[in-house]
Amino acid sequence: MKISKSIYLFFLPGLLLYSIFFLYPTVSALFYSFTDWDGLSDAYQFVGIGNYERALTGDSVFRKTVGNNMKFMLVVVILQTLVALAFALIVLKNTKTNLFLRALYFFPTILSSVSVAFIWSFIYDPSLGILNQILELLGLDFLRQNWLGNSDIAIYSLAITQVWFHAGQMLIIFVAGLQAIPEDLYEVAKIEGASKWQTFQKVTWPLLAPSATIVIAYTTIQSFKAFDLVFAMTGGGPNNSTEIIATYIFDVAFRSYNFGYASSISVLFMIIIAIITFLQFKALRSDRISY
Amino acid sequence: MISKKSSFTAALLLPFLALAGCAGESPDSGSETESGSGDRTQISFIHWRGEDKAVLDDIIAQFEDEFPEISVEMNIYPSEQYQATGQRMLTDGSTGDVFTSFPGAQFEAIANAGFFEDLSGEDFVENFDESLITVGEKDGQQLALPYQLVFNMPVYNKGMFDELGLEVPKSWTEFQEMADTLLENDIIPIAFPGADIGPNQFMNSMMMNNAPDEDIFEKLQNGEESLTNEWWVKTLEDFQLLEEKGYIQSDALGTSQDSAMAMVANEEAAMLATGSYHMAALLGLNPDLELDLMAPITVEESEAQYEGINTATFMLAVNSNSEKKEEAKEFIRFLSRPEIASQYANETGQHLTVNDVEYESEVLQNTAYWIDERKTRFQPRFLITNAQIEAAVLGSIENVLGGADPMEAAEEAQQIVDENRE
Repeated sequence: MKISKSIYLFFLPGLLLYSIFFLYPTVSALFYSFTDWDGLSDAYQFVGIGNYERALTGDSVFRKTVGNNMKFMLVVVILQTLVALAFALIVLKNTKTNLFLRALYFFPTILSSVSVAFIWSFIYDPSLGILNQILELLGLDFLRQNWLGNSDIAIYSLAITQVWFHAGQMLIIFVAGLQAIPEDLYEVAKIEGASKWQTFQKVTWPLLAPSATIVIAYTTIQSFKAFDLVFAMTGGGPNNSTEIIATYIFDVAFRSYNFGYASSISVLFMIIIAIITFLQFKALRSDRISY
Repeated sequence: MISKKSSFTAALLLPFLALAGCAGESPDSGSETESGSGDRTQISFIHWRGEDKAVLDDIIAQFEDEFPEISVEMNIYPSEQYQATGQRMLTDGSTGDVFTSFPGAQFEAIANAGFFEDLSGEDFVENFDESLITVGEKDGQQLALPYQLVFNMPVYNKGMFDELGLEVPKSWTEFQEMADTLLENDIIPIAFPGADIGPNQFMNSMMMNNAPDEDIFEKLQNGEESLTNEWWVKTLEDFQLLEEKGYIQSDALGTSQDSAMAMVANEEAAMLATGSYHMAALLGLNPDLELDLMAPITVEESEAQYEGINTATFMLAVNSNSEKKEEAKEFIRFLSRPEIASQYANETGQHLTVNDVEYESEVLQNTAYWIDERKTRFQPRFLITNAQIEAAVLGSIENVLGGADPMEAAEEAQQIVDENRE
């Protein structure tokens, strides 16, 4: 069958939008990463790989932000996946109660991140916050913490907020994945005398792997993009202990007026996410089984 | 199911979205002007003082009555956002014919980009106190005119001090005695909003006499000084002492500005470690408070050179890219009239840099003596022109308040300073 050349015209609107909103900024960022552009003036100079050299060898704050981001990502990915999966298993059947619970768990997702930041800043407030007050009421005073002011735990406090914010979204993906598993397989497992754990291990999890892959990849990307939450709750402090790569890019670009350097960190950021996502896909793909 | 390739591509593009706003606009963007409605020329006025909206609306209405050919469109942005993105709005001249700038890093960046119209020689410059507008000068040109005069030093409960028979301490020894007396009376000496603006405000008065050299941060930035030297390590040790002796509330690094203000308004704490700009809000929370200003003197009385900190800020400027510069200047001329400035000062509870302003509110009258009678220095933090170095300096304070040794915190911060020195 001969395809008319005019069909290619249909690609144009999409290609145009993609070029304007994705390709151009991407190529621009790559270009400016080799310059010392301050983001304001007309003039800039090429600095070769100087910005990359600085980020990789001469910027202790950047190294710290990468470490913070890794801690944040690990806690969020593990906790969010487990919480979402556990709740998905609980609310799997389409009963009225479960439909209500699903909506309830999903609710935080529709809030704006600034609202979430405000709510959780109040919860974490060391003197007025509800969390410390509850601990006190329960006689667990020894667990009272300066949740966002203690540089050793602040990043984990933010991770908990991120999990609360997005677990509902992942729950929906898991519920869809679980509901797609044929009932027959569970019946066979039952006839064969498989325990609940064996059924989960041999039937549920392998068939849920595609959903889990999406959840983990998306959660990973989300945890690198948690800019708004970190910015609104701690601003990266205290002493850079909650500074993640995205907030650092913002600081370098918009507070230090060093767009060239910020662009180079952005490129490195992209490479880090790409490597992690690739490794996750590789690891999770080996778990996939078809019956 | 998402294919590996498309996921990889999505992940690849993701970080650039964070920079889409910066890279999407090239440095050589063309200029565009916005025409006014009818015969009127509309000028754009951008700033960050949301709390001043009502009084500025009224002043703008008066301006438009007197100059019917000019209308003013005011846009207000949160200060954090303004500090970060304000300068980018000036690039094409369509926004911010009149704009405001913070002193320090933002002023330097805008000046280096050439967005300030030189106001030297304009008649309205004489309406300002000459000694208070030097921060808006660069290379002999008056690029901006600071409008507000803020005292970035603790606000204290004068009534409480009088009741307890306490006097304003004149030395570090006296300061500690005063704090001990407050603690004995179950009053927290200092409410410190460590989760937000506390470190960047309180560092000024804590270091003003430890490092009386006003060029200290310039020297730090060019490598002649170090944070590991006596002046900064002592400042960090003083912060450590405040924390260890309970002179600031526990968990201070988790305390927000609102919580700290509530502590002072409820008279749980005697001082608020922010600045004069919070006096009106404190009185709003508790009208019975009698307030004044007091900076900690961290040296012995004989060594003290400064009594407080001032900042001439909210710097009015004309965008050099604007096509309505004359109208923009007319608006600044109007704002600098003593009667208009007086209205602004009294309705916002701010001291101003404009001459012949009549302060009517009690709190402004009671603290006006700080303008002429006390020796204050310009806010040192605003003399750090490199934001990464500023963050390192502030980070060392947070580090110490979090339990780090002052020298180790100073060394860690100095490493960041060395990495970012230009």
